[in-house]
Amino acid sequence: MADIEDSGPSGSEPLDLVRLSLDETVFVKLRGDRELKGRLHAYDSHCNLVLGDVEETIYVVEEDENEEEIVRVRDS
Amino acid sequence: MLFFSFFKTLTNQTVTIELKNDIRIRGTLKSVDQYLNIKLDDIEVLDLVKYPHLSSVKNMFIRGSVVRYVMLPRSEVDVGLLEDATRRGKLRIVFLI
Amino acid sequence: MAWRWPEAATFPRTSPKMAFFGFDTTLPRDRDGSGPRGFFETPDPFAQVAQASALDDDAIDFEDTYDGLGDQLDDDQDEFNDDTFGGPGPESSGRDFDFFGKTAQVSDAIGEEQVRYSLQNPNAPRVAQPVAQPVQQPAPQVKRSGYEKYSEPGYIPDLQAKSSVWGVSQKKPEPTPTSRKMMSLEEVEAQMRHSSHAVPPAGDAFLRSMVEPQYHPQPQHLQAIPDGYPPVHPEFLQAQLRQGHLPQMAHPPPGMPELYGGPGIMPPGGPLHMAQNINAPPQNMPPPGPRPTGPQVQRPPQQPPQHQQLPPNRVSNNGMPVITDPQQLAHLTPEQRNAYLMEDAKRAKRNHKIFLLSRGNGLMTPQDKNFITRIQLQQLVAAAGSIADSDPEAVLAEDFYYQVCSQIRGAPRQHPHQPLGHFAQTYLLQTGNRLGGHRRGNFQSADNHMQRMQQQVQRAVEAAKAKPKNKQLIIEGSLGKIAFSNAKAPKPMLNIKRPDSADGPKPKKLQSNLSLSDRKSILTNVEHVYSALMAMEDMERTMPPPPEEGDAEAIQEHMEWRQKLHSLNQKLWRSLKVMEPIVPNSTTPHPFIAFLSYPKGKKAIPRIFRHIDQEQRVTILTMIVVHLDSLDVVRLAQPVPGEAQPSLGMREAIDLFSLAVMPCLLGYVNEAPFNIIIGLLGLVINQTHVQTVARTKVGLGILTMLLSRAEIVKEAGQASEHDWQQWVEKFNVLFDTLEPGLNDTFPGTISSGDDMYVWQFLAAVGIGASPEQQQRLVIAVKDRVMETVGYSKTLPADMGSQRLSNVNLFMRAIGLDVELLG
Repeated sequence: MADIEDSGPSGSEPLDLVRLSLDETVFVKLRGDRELKGRLHAYDSHCNLVLGDVEETIYVVEEDENEEEIVRVRDS
Repeated sequence: MLFFSFFKTLTNQTVTIELKNDIRIRGTLKSVDQYLNIKLDDIEVLDLVKYPHLSSVKNMFIRGSVVRYVMLPRSEVDVGLLEDATRRGKLRIVFLI
Repeated sequence: MAWRWPEAATFPRTSPKMAFFGFDTTLPRDRDGSGPRGFFETPDPFAQVAQASALDDDAIDFEDTYDGLGDQLDDDQDEFNDDTFGGPGPESSGRDFDFFGKTAQVSDAIGEEQVRYSLQNPNAPRVAQPVAQPVQQPAPQVKRSGYEKYSEPGYIPDLQAKSSVWGVSQKKPEPTPTSRKMMSLEEVEAQMRHSSHAVPPAGDAFLRSMVEPQYHPQPQHLQAIPDGYPPVHPEFLQAQLRQGHLPQMAHPPPGMPELYGGPGIMPPGGPLHMAQNINAPPQNMPPPGPRPTGPQVQRPPQQPPQHQQLPPNRVSNNGMPVITDPQQLAHLTPEQRNAYLMEDAKRAKRNHKIFLLSRGNGLMTPQDKNFITRIQLQQLVAAAGSIADSDPEAVLAEDFYYQVCSQIRGAPRQHPHQPLGHFAQTYLLQTGNRLGGHRRGNFQSADNHMQRMQQQVQRAVEAAKAKPKNKQLIIEGSLGKIAFSNAKAPKPMLNIKRPDSADGPKPKKLQSNLSLSDRKSILTNVEHVYSALMAMEDMERTMPPPPEEGDAEAIQEHMEWRQKLHSLNQKLWRSLKVMEPIVPNSTTPHPFIAFLSYPKGKKAIPRIFRHIDQEQRVTILTMIVVHLDSLDVVRLAQPVPGEAQPSLGMREAIDLFSLAVMPCLLGYVNEAPFNIIIGLLGLVINQTHVQTVARTKVGLGILTMLLSRAEIVKEAGQASEHDWQQWVEKFNVLFDTLEPGLNDTFPGTISSGDDMYVWQFLAAVGIGASPEQQQRLVIAVKDRVMETVGYSKTLPADMGSQRLSNVNLFMRAIGLDVELLG
């Protein structure tokens, strides 16, 4: 059995940093000008995520070029 | 395999799936595979006016890669267990190498 | 837009009717009613297009689009065309490409020679066998194969394409009767030598020139290959022969193709057939002369055909005579022959095995093999985990969530033998906070902890009631006023502010929120803790069965297991950072307290407590008590001014702490010795800002624990006089500190929120209080008592009685009862 402390969450892999945020509120930027804020419950190597108490923000540029913010709140 | 494992516990639950083309579909999760392809039964398209061509579809197969979100019933998710399962995925690698 | 062929390019319309898939696509004028034709006898598939486009004015005329390149061709420099493409007429091309014809020239001779040889060597059944079979297949039954012509010496295939090939009414040509001159072996060899100008070893040359290893007296011995084997490359065999190697192990060089497929691929008959299987009869050969049947009879029936193939130079290793010619076999005694044949059979068998094993020899380089081996090992490791992993363990690792979830929910599992009991224990007991507490199957209700606290206080109250202290307390019923006839408190309404009430430690500096790097290091600690926890939980599942007396191996195994568990415990303990030194007045919180400020830190405590010993538990409890006013659930629990209660996030944190951490602490306190309780109370008083602590649910909860435990110890008679004196001393300090702020301990107004924990605390104080303190207590909270009694009457019956019973817990602790309040 390997040494947990040596190769544990502070290790060198990028996703190790994500592990620190398990059960913490995280802020996720997605493609398509979307952002999510929610509590992180699971992730995998593909960056699939399970979030709880999510708030999704989609930024839409309107015709008059004013940035309009549409916030949809979702439970998941 | 975590998400496959996770979704397996949600079979026969009502979920809402949002596709990357913004279509949102509510239905009963009948099955899922390792690619997270999803089979939905008794579906209901949330914005049916925009997608009338889906009005007669009763069940569908959704390729996993086109899914943006799956909205799940909170009561059916054991978050503590899920977090540990996530840690275990990491732990496994730690123990192997 | 359409295009059309120029007239010059139009195909001749010799058969205008076209029946294509049953559709008659021809135009009426093209229909002439002629009989059925072959498929491609309609030579103008574009005719329809041309006709259709003839009606189309937009059609492109060839002349319009022709770029005239064709006109630039030099038509007068065609002299060398023959050199380039070969001259006209079939004769000029010679016969250099006619392998079939060449073979056919000698095929008769080969067949004849085979028969002749078999006659000369009646003891060589391998040769006899091919001869024997044509008896069963007489010549008249020979079917037309299409290759007959190739056996004619001067045959040049007629390559003219005939529409009759596709036609329906053409008559089949009669099979050409074959009549060839029989040649002797000498003749054949002479011809071969003549035609190929080959190098001296005739057999060698023959083999090379004919490509397919043909029958030949010398190489015949080399063909020691079981049926179905690919033909052996002649050079290969020759080389082996020259080196004196045993040629029987004659597997083909890798990559060498089988020259002529299997028997099923070949058309039946024809001389080629000989090449593919030397043991098979040349089926289509004209029967060469009288056919002997003797060899077949003489052939020992129990021996496989291979063993007749004797290596010419083979030296027997068991004293057998060297047999170079099958004829020698006939001169041996039966014993010798049998022994020889037996040994030969064994060898053949072995050779066959070696052949099978070596079929792919040389296909991969060592580097290739190395590469594949690495991939395989990698997959093995990835698929099975460590080698020690049993199968259910591997499945569990891959499918952890599903497997454990199914077990917790009581669904049938795919792997019923999996040791998941521990998991269920771990995760069922996991406290349900708002995030997971409402799941069905989670039996840990949010009130559980409060009920346990309630029980403890009730026990203390019951014990105290056995010898009530102030019977003098009189309730003046309907007016709701309480008069005290106790002379010690003549002016009970007078609320004497004690000068020392503001004393005690100053409220600690509000610790700034964790800096980013602190946050990361704390979260790293948390994850280390979880890693260690999960490792310990896995260890628990794999605990070896308790060793039996004298079973040294089992004892050893158990010892090692305990050793591993212990080292994991140490790892867990280090990760918790409980033993980090306490830095007074530090702006950064103690690492363990910071650990507890995260939800996952709080949630880990019940699991941690299962894996640590009592000493570690009391250390954790002491740490919490010392830092009571630094805990996030105490420090940040005060509602901001203007708000009735703390923020939603903080309420969640408090609930989680009450649910996850408090039961663990209570569990320990309930068994703790009295001196520890005394020491803890001293720490609260000396190290924390008691009034801040007392205004929080968690703070009051800790105090209630300690007070009620002390009362129980005392009532059980387990407290020494000295200890009790110490306790009372500290209790008095606490009481005096708290008294001025007692009313502030209630959260919000009477209608807001749950004040049960306050009544519990007051009850715990009341039991331990002296009569004088009890009176002061009543004075401090009597308004709240009356309010609650009144308010409960406005509530639905069950809620009202709940509120009343909360108050009554306190009242009974000081020897009263809400009933007395009328």
